[in-house]
Amino acid sequence: MDRKIGVYICECGPNIAEKIDIDKVIKAVSPLDDVSIATRYKLLCSEQGKKFLEEQIKKNGLTHLVVAACSPRDHQHTFMTICENAGINPFLFQLANIREQCAWITENKEEATNKAIRLTKAAIGRVRYHVPLEKKEIESNPDVLVIGGGIAGMEASLHLASPQRKIYLVEKTSQLGGVVTNLEKTFPDMQSCPKIIQDKIDQVTNNDNIKVYTNCEVTEILGFFGNFEGTVTQNNNEDKTTVGFNVGAVVLATGCALFDPTDDPNYGYGKFDNVITALEFEKMNLAGNIRLKNGKTPKSVAIIHCVGRDKKGYCSEICCMYSIKFVRYLQNKIPEIKISNFYTDLCLPEKSYQKFYEQSRGKKNDFIRIDSIKITNPGNKLTITHNDEQGNKKSHGVDMVILSPALEPSVDTKKLAEFTRISQDDEGFFAEEHEKLGPVTTSTEGVYIAGCAQGPKSIQNTLIQAEAVAGKILSSLIPGKKIEPEVKVAHISESFCIGCKTCLTVCSYGVITFDSTKKVCVANEVICRGCGNCVAACPSGAASLKHFTFNQLRQELKEAVL
Amino acid sequence: MNNKNSNSDILVIGAGIAGIEASLMLSKSDRKVHLIEKNSYTGGMSIKFEEVFSNMECSTCMISPKQQDLLQDKNINLIMLATVEDVKGSPGDFKVKIHKKPRYVDMDNCIGCTACFDPCPVSIKNEFEEGLSTRKAIYIPCAGALPNVPCIDTNNCLRFQGKDCQACQDACMFNAIDFNQKDEKIELNVEAIIVATGYKLFDPNNTPHYGYKKINDVYTALEFERLYASNGPTQGKIQLKNGKTPKSGAIIHCIGRDKQGYCSSVCCMYSLKFNHYLKSKIPEIQIFELYTDLCIPGKSHQKFYEKIKQTGTTLIRATDIKITQQGQKIAITHTDEKGKKRNIIVDMVILSPAIVPNTDASQLANILGITCDDLGFYKEENQNISSVVTPKPGVFIAGCSQGPKNIQETVSQANAAVGKILSASQEGING
Repeated sequence: MDRKIGVYICECGPNIAEKIDIDKVIKAVSPLDDVSIATRYKLLCSEQGKKFLEEQIKKNGLTHLVVAACSPRDHQHTFMTICENAGINPFLFQLANIREQCAWITENKEEATNKAIRLTKAAIGRVRYHVPLEKKEIESNPDVLVIGGGIAGMEASLHLASPQRKIYLVEKTSQLGGVVTNLEKTFPDMQSCPKIIQDKIDQVTNNDNIKVYTNCEVTEILGFFGNFEGTVTQNNNEDKTTVGFNVGAVVLATGCALFDPTDDPNYGYGKFDNVITALEFEKMNLAGNIRLKNGKTPKSVAIIHCVGRDKKGYCSEICCMYSIKFVRYLQNKIPEIKISNFYTDLCLPEKSYQKFYEQSRGKKNDFIRIDSIKITNPGNKLTITHNDEQGNKKSHGVDMVILSPALEPSVDTKKLAEFTRISQDDEGFFAEEHEKLGPVTTSTEGVYIAGCAQGPKSIQNTLIQAEAVAGKILSSLIPGKKIEPEVKVAHISESFCIGCKTCLTVCSYGVITFDSTKKVCVANEVICRGCGNCVAACPSGAASLKHFTFNQLRQELKEAVL
Repeated sequence: MNNKNSNSDILVIGAGIAGIEASLMLSKSDRKVHLIEKNSYTGGMSIKFEEVFSNMECSTCMISPKQQDLLQDKNINLIMLATVEDVKGSPGDFKVKIHKKPRYVDMDNCIGCTACFDPCPVSIKNEFEEGLSTRKAIYIPCAGALPNVPCIDTNNCLRFQGKDCQACQDACMFNAIDFNQKDEKIELNVEAIIVATGYKLFDPNNTPHYGYKKINDVYTALEFERLYASNGPTQGKIQLKNGKTPKSGAIIHCIGRDKQGYCSSVCCMYSLKFNHYLKSKIPEIQIFELYTDLCIPGKSHQKFYEKIKQTGTTLIRATDIKITQQGQKIAITHTDEKGKKRNIIVDMVILSPAIVPNTDASQLANILGITCDDLGFYKEENQNISSVVTPKPGVFIAGCSQGPKNIQETVSQANAAVGKILSASQEGING
């Protein structure tokens, strides 16, 4: 092919013109192969400049474009659009950054000029081997598979469902509602949980666009964003029926489990009567039946915060608050009861929480800071032995002990993470895409997480995450609109691949699979994000990244450093 | 796609991290967004931080790609130096009046070369840098601020004070300085509104026993952030007012918590982050952290705390803290958890103040027809329905304007507000 490369050097007003001898750059690059024109212009990003470039491409019949100007951050997009408007593929373009990387970093004009020459030559060396890349569009399915019929899964489903978007809501147990069905009230506003959850269940079951599968578990998820295939197995007594459906996105809202206090013998759980977990107490309270094993009403209760925190290595965020909520339950139902809270640090991290704590304090209600605790059962009372703040050993006798255990990942987390090719964090929860900016997205595009499956959180924050997932899906998976996958993607050469599977282990996005018949690895270009990990790891040179091929990089480097 | 209304535009107020996130998502769903920002730059508070807890990622590196996307997004109409003056109407048909102040620098012509700064004869304290450095009357608040286009501060510019100066205009090669720009009144018609106006920090002048502004080298968290920032007034060199490197420092948590009556949820974590800041620049520094209750909720936060603890920092659970000057040094008297009166002497003190509502929060609430809670944050209709929903249909809240929260929770709320808006406008949705 006859290449006609146009090289345009931007003066950027005085910014480049005063620091770099532009004519010298032009002189240096003009004789290079394929360069059909090299010239300067006062400001290429200005309206006149853009027009000038477009006309130049057309007038000179250019096939490739090099602009030596500012950072690609500033105007790469601008110049690629000009290429498109002028009728050449936007990937047949390269920008040399001679402002931020040359003009603005030294007062030495000669050095700046020399470096600008090298960078411009490197851009020419590279662009020569650029190939046109075409944006692809693929059809997408707007339907969504939501796994977990708790408050997060239901909230997400309700926000997503529409006549154009069917929702398949899969719940492992026989009924919707999740852990919230066991609670009487929310903190801090003490609203009725049965009402909140029943409202949601009614809305879900009455919604024609949500299909609920109870007693069901997901057994397989294949495919990619816009085109997943999910398989669900229904456990009806002995019968197992399998249902499959196509969806564009998957939401994991599988909640969490509670730390098992039998793992820590200091608490006496499972050994002594009347030592119960928070969830057992919630159920007891919801049934209106706060009683000791012997049927009597307790006269004194100890609530122990942070059970399992040391072992888990994180604060579960909600235990202090629900423990204080228990104080309210108890004060309300057994007004004369004596309550002692044993805590390490009070974690009250929202605007209304501290007030809730302050209003829950009272004469018959102690908050005691401890650093270690042990529960024994010497007589007919439970005894709590602990060190107080002064380091003194103290003990209290109580009728009942409520343990507030840490939240931990639910049992299915690992399996579902594997199905959806997402990672788990060190604590075992589903890992979000980015700690700050991507709390509900994951490393697999089209797979979202919401609620306690992502980490411990309150009902309020769970609802927010569910709505956030809805926002993410509604803004990216639009009925009738095609999806544009990444263009600069990896490709694995079948003839060079030795089938060592190294690339499989370094891909974070589940792009690569092993073809066991051909004994080679295959990259699914539709879901590749173009990170280049596989290319760097491949020992046989079979993996390459479009627009960053070995030859393109080699030619670029050759001009830059030799 | 599914918008039947002609006015399916969305108004987002505040171009901090919440506003940016919401705007980009809405644009992706083919909505036109009007993003109003009162400052001359985007990014809000988070661009003042050098690193964020707990992954210690560079904050500007994390946010600037989003800011860049925002500036290049054709669906987003970014209106800076602007405030909302009036809102009328109802969901699907809000009529909004915006007042936009002139920048006096043409956004299209300016390339951000900063040639106009040097000739400007004015020098005043840079409020972006918490007054720790100076700026000109024509200025960009810090290196790397986006858009990289200065604005003229008319309160200090000589020309706008009636003097005959056009030094910046003479220096500009691009005809970008335009003294004739006028205030603009912009009228918009929008379907829904997201309010993401952020927060400010509690002013430690209200708690004089911490010695702020009376004792040199008692800094607020934001001052210290800028002191550590590589694009800040000292290029990231942590130094005392006398230019020396501190040998010891104390970080005091919970400043203003008592007065405000709530825990701000992020201060323990950012205080621990400061510990890391200090140790990474001055490895031999001795550090004390004085706290009341450690509030480090979240799956990854305790691990960060454990790591900080291992660096030899002294963590003290303290009450009755009083800070006084003692010769060249600073004395911190306090009562420890065993009830003993103690005194520690350090070179530098960093105060970690509570997050409080922004100055104009209640004024904007009035304009929007929403309410503030008794703490001054925007009030959600019902936490158990959704904390981004206000009693006024079509008006949503996100980020710290609703209450103190970290960046992750802020982004979640921004995503959720968008979810609420897009969900409501899906065709034929039940209920």
